[in-house]
Amino acid sequence: MAPPRIPPAGSAASADLSALRRRIAALEHRSPALRVGADGIDPPGSWWFGVSALDAVLPETGLAVDGLHEATGGGVADGPTAAAFLAALLVRLADGGRGNPVLVCQSRQGAVRFGRVHGPGWRDLGLEPSDLLLLRAGRDRDVPWAIEEGLRCGALAAVLAEVDDLSFTASRRLSLAAREGATPALLVRHDGLGTASAACTRWRVSALPGGADPFDEDAPGLPRWRLELVRCRGGRPMTCNVEWKRETGDFRMVAALAD
Amino acid sequence: MKRVISVWLPRWPIDRLRRERAHRHADGVHAPMVEVAMPSPFALIAPNRRGPVLQAVDRAAGVAGLCCGMRLADARALCADLAVEPADPAADRKELERLALWCNRFAPCCAVDGDDGLLLDITGCTRLFGGEAALMGEIAERFAGLGIEARTGLADTPGAARALARFGPEERMAETGKAGEAIADLPVEALGIAVRDAHLLRRLGIVTIGALDSLPRSALARRFPCRERGGGVLLRLDRALGRSVEPLVPVARPPVCMERLALPEPVTDRDGVDAVLVRLMPGLIATLKRQGLGVRHLVLWCCRIDGGAVRRAVSTARATRDGDHLVRLFREKTGTVDPGFGIDCAALHAVRVEPLEPVQLSLTGDGHRCGDVNLLIDRLRARLGADAVCRLEPVDRHRPEKAERTAVPERDRASPSWPDASDGPQRPFRLFDRPEPVDVVAETPESPPRLFTWRGACRSVARAAGPERIEPEWWIDTGRGTVRDYYSIEDSEGRRYWLYRADRCGAEGREPSRWYVHGLYG
Repeated sequence: MAPPRIPPAGSAASADLSALRRRIAALEHRSPALRVGADGIDPPGSWWFGVSALDAVLPETGLAVDGLHEATGGGVADGPTAAAFLAALLVRLADGGRGNPVLVCQSRQGAVRFGRVHGPGWRDLGLEPSDLLLLRAGRDRDVPWAIEEGLRCGALAAVLAEVDDLSFTASRRLSLAAREGATPALLVRHDGLGTASAACTRWRVSALPGGADPFDEDAPGLPRWRLELVRCRGGRPMTCNVEWKRETGDFRMVAALAD
Repeated sequence: MKRVISVWLPRWPIDRLRRERAHRHADGVHAPMVEVAMPSPFALIAPNRRGPVLQAVDRAAGVAGLCCGMRLADARALCADLAVEPADPAADRKELERLALWCNRFAPCCAVDGDDGLLLDITGCTRLFGGEAALMGEIAERFAGLGIEARTGLADTPGAARALARFGPEERMAETGKAGEAIADLPVEALGIAVRDAHLLRRLGIVTIGALDSLPRSALARRFPCRERGGGVLLRLDRALGRSVEPLVPVARPPVCMERLALPEPVTDRDGVDAVLVRLMPGLIATLKRQGLGVRHLVLWCCRIDGGAVRRAVSTARATRDGDHLVRLFREKTGTVDPGFGIDCAALHAVRVEPLEPVQLSLTGDGHRCGDVNLLIDRLRARLGADAVCRLEPVDRHRPEKAERTAVPERDRASPSWPDASDGPQRPFRLFDRPEPVDVVAETPESPPRLFTWRGACRSVARAAGPERIEPEWWIDTGRGTVRDYYSIEDSEGRRYWLYRADRCGAEGREPSRWYVHGLYG
C-alpha cells in the first residue's frame, strides 16, 4: 500500500488536516500541551527533535511529555548508544527548562556491563549532574516499582532507566504512571524490542561511523546514530541517520557514509 | 520533679536461663511460657583465680545458705546436691537490654542499671496507668507474668529508688521530696558504695544512711576519696539525696514527643500492626502540629507480651507532618515485624524533629499537583534501604573515578556545586568502576592503538584523540600509582570508548604498558 500523501505545508488542506489531528488528540487527551497550543505556536512544554524530517512523522503534539519512550541497541554492543540517544532526547526536553531532578535507575548488572553514570560525562552531554538522582536497587525486580513511584510522584523532570526485562503489563503500568505524573519515562531495553509494549515510541539505535573533528583529522567528530522509529503512536515509523551536536543540543540529518 | 522507678532482678541470670529454655521448648506452641523443670537447688558459676565461684543462686540454694561470690567447693560442702552450670554474662547483659527496651511500654526513657537492674524515668507517665501505686503494681504483675523475680522502688532520684528496691521495707515508695527520709533507715550498702568503704563505715559504727548524712561533708570527702568510676561515698550520697544529678543512659534514644497505645487484646498479624499504626498517627501529628515541629526520624515500638520489643524506624528527607506519608513509609517495614505470641502495646516515638512552620498552599491550587521529590526519596529509601538513592558530588581530584562521589540526596548549602563544562576533552557518559584490561596493537608504544580486543571482540580503531595525560596524585599516595594517557577512540562501527595506557615506573626501569577501557561515550 502506498503511504498516504501529505498535503504541502501552508495549503488549506494541510490546515484542515492539522486541525482534525489536534481535535482527535484532544479527544484522546494525549498531551496537556495541545490544549494550549491551538494557535500553531509550539507550546513551551512540547518536545521535538528540531529536524523537520523526523518531526514530520511524530504525532501532531510532538513526543509525548507524559509518555513512555523505549530504545534498544541495534547490535549487541549498542546498549550504551541507545542510552546516549535517550540522554540526548532528555537534553532537548531540558531545554524546555524545568530544572527538576532526573531519576536514573540502573540495574546492578547493567552497571557492570556498560558502566555506571559518570557525573562529568553527564555534564558534557549538556545536562546538570546535580539534578541526578541515582537509584541503587539491590534487586532488579525493585527497579520497575521504583520507576513507577518516580513517575507518579510528578516532581521529576524525567525517569531514565535501564531494564533487562519488562513484560507488557509492566510497560502498561509505567505508561499509565507517566501519564498520571505528567513525567516522561525513558527506558533502555537491553532485551530488545521483541516483547510487546505500551510505549508511545520505540526506537532502535545503532552507532554509525562519524566524521572527523573539524580541527583534527584523526580525532572523532560528532557522534552519528542510525535511528529506526519502530513504533510511534499517532505517527509513522521511519528510519534516518542523525548527528548529535552536544554543544548546542541539536540533531542534524546526515547521509550514511559509504566508508 | 523527676520520678524514677528502679527494678531489681535479684535472680536475673537464672531467670534468663529458664526463660531461654522455655522459649526453646515453646517453639510452635501457642503459649507464651511453658514451665520447664530446672534443677533445684541450682547455681551458676564462673571461673575465678580461686577456682569456680557462684555467680547466681536460686531460692532453694539461698535457703540452704549459699550466696553469690562463694567458692563452689564451699558451696558443695554446705549443699551436696547443688546443680551448677556456667554463667553467661554476655547473654545476660544482652537480654537485660532487650528487657529494658520492652520497658518502653511503661516509660519512654529506660536504662540498664548494673548487671541486674533497670531504671525507668516515669516522670509524667503515671497518668496513663492511674497513679504511681498502680504503675508499680502493673510492673510487678508484668514481671511476674514473664517469670522474672523483680522488686521495685520508687523515688525522686535513681540512687534512692535503687536503695529502696534492693534494701527497702515492704512499702518501697518514697513520696515526692521525701527521698531522704525514706532511705534514712536503710543500711549504707544500699547506696551501692564499694565493699571496702561499707566495711570501714560499719567498723566506725555508721550503719544507716541517715547516720552517714549527719557526718560533716569535708571529713567524708577526705576519708573516702573517689577511687572508682562509680564515684566515692559522698557523690553516691549526694546523688541518692538529689543534691547532685545522676544521669540516666537510656537504651533507646528518648523521643521528643510520643504517642502510645495499650491494646486490650494482643494483635498477632501484620494487619493488626498496620491498624495500630493508623490509630497512633493522628495523635502524634496533632502533638507535632501544636509544637510547630516536623518529624525527621520516627520509631515504632511494638512490645510483645512475652517480653521483648520490635523496633521499626523510618527517616524522612525533610521534616514532615504528613501522617499518610509516614504510614506509607512504615507499611514497607511492618511486614517483617514478628509479633511472636502477640503485641499488646505499641508506641510511636518522634526521635528527631525539626521546626516546621505551617505552609501556605498556593491559592491557585497548582501547588497540589506537583509532588515533592523528598516524599519520593523517603518512599524509595523505606523500601530499598537507606542508601538506595544518592546524588553525585564533585571531588577535586585528578583520577576520573575519584573525581566524584555519591552523597545523600538532601542538598544543603555546603555541598559543592559542579564546575561548568570545561574546554578540555569530553568525558565519557559511562564509567566502569573497575577499568577493564584490553589487548592493544599500536604502531609504537607511545602512539594511539590501531586494534584492540575487548570482551573477546577485536575492534579496529577508526579515529583517536589524545593523549590526555593524567598524573598520579603523588601528594596523596606517595610513590604509588601510574601515569595514565587517555585516548577517546571511535571504532570502525562508530562506537566510542575511553581507553588509557598505564605506565608504571618500577625500580628496575620501565615496565611494559598496559591498556584499559575506562568508559564508554555511547
